[in-house]
Amino acid sequence: MSQDSTLPDYKRQSPEVARRFAELKERPVKLDVRSLGKTFDSAKGPVTALNDISFQCHRREMMGVIGASGCGKSTLIRILAGLETPSQGEVLLEGNAVTGPGPDRGMVFQSYTLFPWLTVKKNVMFGLEMTGNSMTAAEREARQWIELVGLSKFENSYPHELSGGMKQRVAIARALANRPKILLMDEPFGALDAQTRASMQAYLLEIWRHIDLTVLFITHDLDEAVYLADRILVLKPNPGEVLEMIEVPVARPRSADQFHDPEFLATKDRLEELIHPKVQTEKIELPIVRMTEVGDDVE
Amino acid sequence: MPSAKPKGPSPFSHWFAIGKPLSPRSRTVLTIFSFIIPLALWSAVSYLPFLWHPDIKLTISAEREGITTIYTRGDHLSREFFPQFEAGVQAENQAVFEARESGEELTPGRRKNLKTLRHISAWGLGNGYLTPNEAKDDKLIYQLWARAAGGDFGTSPKLSPENIKVVKDNWIRIQHIGDKFSSRALPNEALLKLVPQGKRSNPVYLPAPHEVVIAGYYDLFTEQRDPDDPSMWQRALHSMKIVFGGFLLAALVGVPLAVLCGTYDFFSRIFEPFIDFFRYLPAPAFSTLLVAIFLAHDAPKIALVFVGTFFQLVLVVANTTREIDRSLIEASQTLGADQRNILFRVVVPGILPQLYNDLRILLGWAWTWLVIAELIGVKSGLTEFIETQGRWRNFDRVFPVIFLIGFIGFFTDQILSWLRVFLFKWTGETPNAFSRLVASSVSAGPRWFQREVLDQRLDPLAERRNRK
Ligand SMILES: Nc1ncnc2c1ncn2[C@@H]1O[C@H](COP(=O)(O)OP(=O)(O)OP(=O)(O)O)[C@@H](O)[C@H]1O
Ligand SMILES: [Mg+2]
Repeated sequence: MSQDSTLPDYKRQSPEVARRFAELKERPVKLDVRSLGKTFDSAKGPVTALNDISFQCHRREMMGVIGASGCGKSTLIRILAGLETPSQGEVLLEGNAVTGPGPDRGMVFQSYTLFPWLTVKKNVMFGLEMTGNSMTAAEREARQWIELVGLSKFENSYPHELSGGMKQRVAIARALANRPKILLMDEPFGALDAQTRASMQAYLLEIWRHIDLTVLFITHDLDEAVYLADRILVLKPNPGEVLEMIEVPVARPRSADQFHDPEFLATKDRLEELIHPKVQTEKIELPIVRMTEVGDDVE
Repeated sequence: MPSAKPKGPSPFSHWFAIGKPLSPRSRTVLTIFSFIIPLALWSAVSYLPFLWHPDIKLTISAEREGITTIYTRGDHLSREFFPQFEAGVQAENQAVFEARESGEELTPGRRKNLKTLRHISAWGLGNGYLTPNEAKDDKLIYQLWARAAGGDFGTSPKLSPENIKVVKDNWIRIQHIGDKFSSRALPNEALLKLVPQGKRSNPVYLPAPHEVVIAGYYDLFTEQRDPDDPSMWQRALHSMKIVFGGFLLAALVGVPLAVLCGTYDFFSRIFEPFIDFFRYLPAPAFSTLLVAIFLAHDAPKIALVFVGTFFQLVLVVANTTREIDRSLIEASQTLGADQRNILFRVVVPGILPQLYNDLRILLGWAWTWLVIAELIGVKSGLTEFIETQGRWRNFDRVFPVIFLIGFIGFFTDQILSWLRVFLFKWTGETPNAFSRLVASSVSAGPRWFQREVLDQRLDPLAERRNRK
């Protein structure tokens, strides 16, 4: 970390960015998470996955969630989606308590979860039909969303004929077609290769710019978190608690050029510090005596 | 130091590569061999006399004095016992000679002599000089003796030198009777008995391939021997009705129940423990009960197939349902699907391909209950034929029917396996080579008809198109 001294403080915001955040906090609260806790009863006794998590997400905000593996990110987003019930606390969506899964919160999973027996179009129509649209209305609507994610040519293809990135675009279109109040994404691009992931990030930003969309996404990728998010919720494991809510000082609109901006690097540096604090200090000692032959001088 | 020469691929490395599929051609070759090997073994055991052949199959037999067990043409004797049997008859003939020599001939009477003469019918039948219906006609029997005495010793069987002497000796004593045969003209003095002859063979239960093929051809493709009996195809249809009837009923009731069990823990807990217990009760044990409930005819048989399949089916399909990708259900929930929609628009379509496979396997199960089912109450179908012919030890007629059952089951399965790919295009599977072969050979006829007749002859443009 030789660069440390040269990087600016990640908390220092340019006037333009500061104005953006001020404006953002003026917007109505979409998602209000109040001292959320979750304890699982596992075979080895109770496991506290989440403890006293509180934060708010504003309209049109793009919020990232980041944290070491096992710190409860998925548990958190599943509670928000209503797929899991919290042990303590509550979740309010536009002021109403969340009690179960519903079409007002779109969810995109890492493992695509497209219905393999339905074509792309039918997949996107699924939610529309569930929420009471007529077939023709659903079809018209679905076509628009498929066009938005650039897959019009594939509307009659089955998921097994699509690449991972295409599948995830369909999954996003399917979730958005219901016009959810918030889009929840659990490591949406985690299974994609670096190139596809980059283009998917660009896609997501593009969509987000064009429609009134609030997004909460989980990621393992620090670059992705800084590149996409307005604010980043950093969790710590055992039990999962909020470490810090970072306001990303990188200006919008974002582009790939910003990956080397000082603010970008400073934020990334801070995330690194929060998530892997000990990696630099601790010397890793393997319990292996000798694996190479004597005389095979590799040092 | 020269390093060890890299070894070239050994000829076995292709056939025995661990964890690697063989090339399509090698697979086809092996598939063909997997059928040829048992056939070759069977042929070898049947046609190479030194391999096994523990029995002697009688071509000419005799009745022993004072011994009640009677062997006739076609009966099998063990190779150890046959010489005793032969020696017994020879001793009796010897006794006749000795009595003649001592001047006091044995006089068993005309009836006994007639019986002795009749034994030549086996020789006549074997050589085709006599049809089974004529074997009781004593006039024809007499003509057979005349024929043998005249020097025609036949080919299969050929009379042994010993028997030729017997024929000549007897002929001297009955020659005088002539064309107007009457048993009253027979002498009272003892005639000689034909000495048993036979050829080495396998036990009755292992007929040779050609015998099975011939018997199968007659039973399947020619008019049945007894016009009152149903034809083999009628029997097969009847058997299929029982298998498919029982299976479809089990599927009709079992699949919905199983899907509920797999989806809702409630149904799983209230039904599955008992079903799990019940499937260990042997279905055939219920046969008398089923007959009492459903009376005779087909109902108890179908019920037996049902009992044998239903409980397995529920457990297997419930498990399949449980194995559906949970995240698909969760995804549908976040899209607003309610209970009914989750069940009918996610769970059911999601399990269909696996369900189809399960049912295919369970249909195989249903076939295994067929034989027991057809034996209960009034015997029927293919099993009745197997039972009757087996009792008469006509195993050459039994095997074709056993194979027929196997073929019906096997071909339905292969066709279903091939159909699957078309029913579930969305899985992106391709049919395996073997089922493709089976299906294409089944559809070859209609396709040929379409190509050669419909497209060519009847399509006025075809000729012009071909010229291009
Ligand atoms: N159904 C469950 N039963 C018991 N324990 C659970 C269950 N689900 C999650 N946990 C535990 O809760 C903790 C948080 O899990 P979670 O999946 O939310 O982590 P995560 O941050 O999403 O991890 P990753 O980054 O690897 O996806 C883990 O210790 C996990 O073992
Ligand atoms: Mg996770």
